[in-house]
Amino acid sequence: MFGKTVSYGLLWDFAVSEAVSEDQRWILSTMQKHGQELITLLWRILGNEQDVCDAYQDTFLQLAHYDRGQKPEHVKAYIFRTANNVAISMLRRRIAQRKRISPAVVTGKHADTGGFPDPAVPGSPAEELDSKYLQESLRCCIAQLPKHLRNVITLRDLAELSYAQIGRILGISAATARVYRCKALQLLTVWMGKEEEK
Amino acid sequence: MTAINKNNKCRRIRGWLSEAISRHFGLDANWLQKHITNCPRCQRRLLSYGKVNLAISAIKSQPHKLDLLMCANAQAIGVLKHSLRRAQKAKKLRTIRPEPKLRERFGKYASSTANIAACIAIMLLMKFGVFSSMDTFQTQGQKVIKQYYASRIGDDLADEVFPKDTNNLSNLI
Repeated sequence: MFGKTVSYGLLWDFAVSEAVSEDQRWILSTMQKHGQELITLLWRILGNEQDVCDAYQDTFLQLAHYDRGQKPEHVKAYIFRTANNVAISMLRRRIAQRKRISPAVVTGKHADTGGFPDPAVPGSPAEELDSKYLQESLRCCIAQLPKHLRNVITLRDLAELSYAQIGRILGISAATARVYRCKALQLLTVWMGKEEEK
Repeated sequence: MTAINKNNKCRRIRGWLSEAISRHFGLDANWLQKHITNCPRCQRRLLSYGKVNLAISAIKSQPHKLDLLMCANAQAIGVLKHSLRRAQKAKKLRTIRPEPKLRERFGKYASSTANIAACIAIMLLMKFGVFSSMDTFQTQGQKVIKQYYASRIGDDLADEVFPKDTNNLSNLI
């Protein structure tokens, strides 16, 4: 009797799990369809492979738990927005962590930005020419941008999406996306060029 | 028809406008170049703008490991439901590698494909466009001459000169 109950229970579990699996199989399809684009975006925002994997995992975990496992209406928009937010949060956390953990290493001119070279502080010409320095400076500045401008600049310049696609993802018009990008570039230009103005 | 004409006109005007604007207000405009050479503030701004562009290019040109997608997929699938982890697609995703897009893959053949397409288009035009027009022209000419003869020498003689099975004037000559 007990054995029968157990076997019925197992059968029931199997049936439920199969149903759930059928329901959420779209997550795997999404992963297959947009995985590469997402990885490119995350890599360009974070520049660190382990962080990319973590952000990617977080994005799909959030997708799986969206509205009790329901599929969002616009999956691509959802995952791109989520990935963007997760990556920027990680970037900011990384900056803050470096600032907190190793103040001895992060001294003087880079202390405010957590180890990243601060664009507002002059560096040596050799350092300025260094590609890594430039990349980290830009990442640092992008992380400081207001959300609406940051989203557009990351999707346009790092994910290389068209303005129409960006508009659909962010729920704005393509023209607004253009304006936001222009504003973001202006801000980045000012921040990156602060050292010359000082 | 009018709407199409208007659209074309609009497009032409837009083209002229953007050309004129870029000529007078673009980075290559003489007055702007002269100003930049004498204005340190603009020089700094341009330099910073160039720096931003350079940094974006540097970020974009930085490649990641080939197996990054595979690792990320494996890690993400690892936290999904057990039933999803066991799915056939999940196994495939764990070993997937980034593939170039179709456009990138066939980009190198674009110019040769365009050349071949142009050749085929010309051949098709010659075959169906020019030749069929010539046929029509020939048939119409033949009809006119037959009518002329019919009016002058009568239908019977005209039929003799231009028998019904004759499709070509060249047969007569």
